[in-house]
Amino acid sequence: MPRITEEAKQATRKRILDTALSLFKSKGFEQATTRDIANEAGIAAGTLFNYFPAKEDIVMALVTVALARAAEEFAKQKREGASLEEDLFLNVSTGLRRLKPYRRYVGPVLETTLSPMVASASNEQAQAIRVAHLERVQEAISSHGQSLATWTIAMQLYWTLYTGVLAFWVNDSSPKQEDTLAMLDQSISMFVSWLKERGNG
Amino acid sequence: MSLSVAEILEALPRADDPDERGLSAEATRALFEKLSKRPMPTGSLHRLWNLGDVHARVGIAYLFYWIRSWFKSTDARQQDLVETNLRAALKLLEMMGYLRGAVMKMGQTLANLKDIAPDEFTDVLEKLHFEAPAMHYSLIREQLCSELGGDPEELFDEFETEAFAAASLGQVHRARLKTGERVAIKVQYPGIGRTIRADLRNLTPLLLPARLTKDWENVKAQVDEVRRSLERETDYEDEARLLEKARDLFTEDDNILVPRVYREFSTARVLTMQFVGGVHIHDFLSLNPSQEARNQAAELMMRAWYRLLYKGRMEYIDWHPGNFLFQDGKLGLIDMGGVWCLNDAAFDTMLRADHAMQTGDRNDISDFVRHWCEIGDDPSDQERLLKSVEYCEHVWKARIQPGVMDFGDAEDLRKTIDLLAELTKKRYTRGRSASPLVTRWELAYRTMLYRLGAKIDVHPIRDEEVKVTC
Ligand SMILES: Nc1ncnc2c1ncn2[C@@H]1O[C@H](COP(=O)(O)OP(=O)(O)OP(=O)(O)O)[C@@H](O)[C@H]1O
Repeated sequence: MPRITEEAKQATRKRILDTALSLFKSKGFEQATTRDIANEAGIAAGTLFNYFPAKEDIVMALVTVALARAAEEFAKQKREGASLEEDLFLNVSTGLRRLKPYRRYVGPVLETTLSPMVASASNEQAQAIRVAHLERVQEAISSHGQSLATWTIAMQLYWTLYTGVLAFWVNDSSPKQEDTLAMLDQSISMFVSWLKERGNG
Repeated sequence: MSLSVAEILEALPRADDPDERGLSAEATRALFEKLSKRPMPTGSLHRLWNLGDVHARVGIAYLFYWIRSWFKSTDARQQDLVETNLRAALKLLEMMGYLRGAVMKMGQTLANLKDIAPDEFTDVLEKLHFEAPAMHYSLIREQLCSELGGDPEELFDEFETEAFAAASLGQVHRARLKTGERVAIKVQYPGIGRTIRADLRNLTPLLLPARLTKDWENVKAQVDEVRRSLERETDYEDEARLLEKARDLFTEDDNILVPRVYREFSTARVLTMQFVGGVHIHDFLSLNPSQEARNQAAELMMRAWYRLLYKGRMEYIDWHPGNFLFQDGKLGLIDMGGVWCLNDAAFDTMLRADHAMQTGDRNDISDFVRHWCEIGDDPSDQERLLKSVEYCEHVWKARIQPGVMDFGDAEDLRKTIDLLAELTKKRYTRGRSASPLVTRWELAYRTMLYRLGAKIDVHPIRDEEVKVTC
């Protein structure tokens, strides 16, 4: 068996992701089987399994790529002198923008991986996403001079709000998901006032 | 957590309380603190209460204090009636608490009443309007992107990240188009329009207890009219259409400017308009303009009003200070949210009113009042007819009497308010569904000209504008 180079691997991986995405779009997430994806991508079902054991793993990979790009955009768009609320909002909104193409089928995956109910170590990719996201939150909070005496509680609270917003967004039937923006704005100001109250008290 | 109306009423100063103000401010402050912690559908109220914090709260306390003092009466039974109405009003305010705009609107009309309302009150309310809190730029960017399909940095040559003015349902940003024009972009808080429309639809059932009263049809019609006008303000496409219609009615020589709409950058939730220079009445007056300049400003306002009415068949209801900009003898008219478009029947009614003003004849005025208030020959309606005629004769004085009218006469304005309060108290203002709008307009326009201290003759303006129509 010829050795497969890292580049070839990456190329296959990318082909699988692209194919999966277009199949999800045309057939719907539920209807598109891993077999369909393998066929369409021109690889054996077994090969696909080596890359992604389940359809959910494909979605998770798409989410990971999207959120990594969002993180770059967050860094670029962060404004000098912005309020803590604005920074925290941007951290989420850049992500939502990148996740938008997957909104329709990202729901079940978020539920089983990112939900605060899920043990954090259960999924490596999800864990990485969570850590990176919370690091940005932490950085924003410290750079605004807020103390973090109760870091664990604060982050649990934050994560609950954040995933709550994501869940809301997945099912948001308002025009252009405008209600999600309001929801996000509200959740963040709620979190920040809680933080400030804590800090002062 | 629900705040009971009883608690709010408790916070209101009692008519017989020797130390009304102190008590009211303190107790009401506490209440609004509580109110501010209630979850809001979109958070605007939350923002309002947080914004001027102490100032806003004290302002609101004064608002209640003042409204209540209007209705002070020796007759206990009437007092009860008034309290019932007040209770109902507060209930609504509580339920629709996020309506920052509605609260501000009410405030703006009242804020015109310098000298009549306590100074602190008017000052605070004025600030409330001009210092409303902001959506931060990240939120604005998302809202613009989903509405206009691109980030502000891509769409515009320049976009100011800080809002320069508050609007009822959002805020206004300055920007420059790629083609160079300076624009003002009004952006709605996401979802607020839908929330308001949904709430307004739920208003009527709330009035059900009033269903059995004699006035039910009337009340319902009036509420529907107010609802329609509020609903319209949630739709910037509608406002864009009205701005365009209004803009076409004026030429450069009129010195009245209605901003152009940039449709490519406008939707139901975003309105991009030509930027209109100039200052609001407060700043205009702080420059100590001469009597002549103040008269000129008032004349332009009256001219704009008559032009819209006769040539455009639009009644400009929303005479609050934020809608007028003054600069070098020119007037900018920027907000068509509160315009009432007249159908043939309504226009005909306006012509009847005009006829009555023109002759000044008591019989004509009486005829008009019968028509407007749908008063028949029932003897029980006689007092209502007389009072309403008295009110018309008073508020139409500028038209009925020849020559110049001194709009700066405080006594005269106070009488307008007293008459209106009396009509309201006796529930004589029922009638056409448009009544609340028209009375709101009358009060607002009079107070605006009062602030200008205008001494003007409206007859030639009216005559010219009627001619334009013919
Ligand atoms: N075209 C414009 N040029 C300059 N300033 C503007 C323009 N449009 C709006 N503004 C500023 O924004 C403020 C609010 O705008 P506008 O009155 O249209 O909002 P609104 O939502 O209709 O508010 P309200 O209902 O309280 O009047 C104005 O008072 C004015 O200061």
